[in-house]
Amino acid sequence: MLCEDCRSHNASVFLKVAVNNKVKELHLCTACAAKKGMGFGLETGAFNISDIVGNMSGYFKDFLPPEKKTLRCGGCGLKYSEFKESGRLGCPACYGSFEPQLAELMSRIHGAAQHAGRAYSGGPALKLSNAEIARRLEELRAALKQAVAKEDFEGAARLRDELKLLEGRHG
Amino acid sequence: MAEALKTFRPYVTWANARGGWPDIIFSTRVRFARNLEGFPFPNRAEPRQLGEIRRLALAAVKDTGLFSRGHFLKFEALSSLEKRFLVERHHVSHALAAAVLPAGAAVSNDEDLSAMVNEEDHLRLQCLSAGFSIEETLNAALKLDEALGRALPFAFSPRFGFLTACPTNAGTGMRVSCLVHLPALSRLGRMPQVLENLSHLSVTARGIYGEGTMVLGDFYQISNATCLGRSEEDFCQNIDRVIRNLIRQEIAAREELLKGPLKVKTEDAVYRALGLLKHARTLSYEEFMQNVSLARMGAAMGWNMGLDFSTFNQVTLLMQPAHIQAAAGRELNPAARDAFRAEFLRKKLA
Repeated sequence: MLCEDCRSHNASVFLKVAVNNKVKELHLCTACAAKKGMGFGLETGAFNISDIVGNMSGYFKDFLPPEKKTLRCGGCGLKYSEFKESGRLGCPACYGSFEPQLAELMSRIHGAAQHAGRAYSGGPALKLSNAEIARRLEELRAALKQAVAKEDFEGAARLRDELKLLEGRHG
Repeated sequence: MAEALKTFRPYVTWANARGGWPDIIFSTRVRFARNLEGFPFPNRAEPRQLGEIRRLALAAVKDTGLFSRGHFLKFEALSSLEKRFLVERHHVSHALAAAVLPAGAAVSNDEDLSAMVNEEDHLRLQCLSAGFSIEETLNAALKLDEALGRALPFAFSPRFGFLTACPTNAGTGMRVSCLVHLPALSRLGRMPQVLENLSHLSVTARGIYGEGTMVLGDFYQISNATCLGRSEEDFCQNIDRVIRNLIRQEIAAREELLKGPLKVKTEDAVYRALGLLKHARTLSYEEFMQNVSLARMGAAMGWNMGLDFSTFNQVTLLMQPAHIQAAAGRELNPAARDAFRAEFLRKKLA
């Protein structure tokens, strides 16, 4: 097969890229591939994955319905709009925070929105370092203070339980 | 010279020719993406949290007992050559090698198991095996996954399964793939159609080093495109069917290349490639891959290429840029690398 760019050399580089949700195939000779900045990562040491991530985020952006108000993860504070930009969630709790949106997205990506593989019953509590415990305690105390100030007593009670648990486990 | 490289094996068992169709299937790989409950995913974690995750993850990997006398690596302590070597060995991804965050990896003594820490997910667990061996590879990877799942709390929800930074990996978190060599289909210009057909079967084709990499020497990594909504075994069976179908197509293409006037053309191309590999005084990796692909196909057609498939596979690993420098025992510029590669290969083929 001839290079699709110069039409004179044999194509030796094959590339499949996603552009605007369409798969585009490129067959190039090495010289043309190099000209297009697609040098071999291993030879040059420079490997750029930003194109792939960029294409991914386009994928999410085009498919996802616009949200009505600012959705935010209760765990890590990631905005749903940020997820749509980057294609990356912030923490495991994001799956609960954005459950309806993600269920729709999962159906599109995987053709299903319900896990059917191995179940997992949970692992042991982590043996966290003192620095990480201190960081988490600080975070919880700040959140508790905010909840009390906003008179969110339900939230405050939940945070107090979490604090007790963390202090009890490591205290 | 990078000290860490000297502790890796000169040959790896997962690159041996094994099982049916060793001329077509190089190796099988199963990987699981896993994250720890209670921590943000790596893209949103602070460096000190990533350090904590790495400490916890590498300790748990060590405690499984599956990595005794293995390698435990912190990436900030590695040179770029060492990282490239690990990518070439298929132990870590380009993305991990490029990471500036506290990242790490563990590689078992046999180099069949590895764990990447703080790539896109906290943990990427991988098992590599020689030849076409999906069931065996899945079982070995599950053994590692289950041992770690008892030592660490993985992020999991009954609805979305194992939770990952990118929703494309959630569910089983599993990617099963075979590294396949399809020179005859490529030579007949059928690959675009083959890849198009694969995309309708929930299957992805990638280059030799995985996501976002180029196809070199007609090697393709064929893997499942989706991983939620079916069992691990179902996804594996789908890949198994697809691979068997590809094998049939490649064998038929090879038969075509041996028919009528095509035969002498094929023979000429194969022996010219062998001549180049045997006599070149300077040889780039890319040129090596193009020509070894033909020589490998020649061997599959029953012509004497002077190498068996295990040696073909091992040589294919050894000719990679970082491997060449490891063999030379020093860093080499591209021109020196190409000269060293040609000489190294001449000795192997002599």
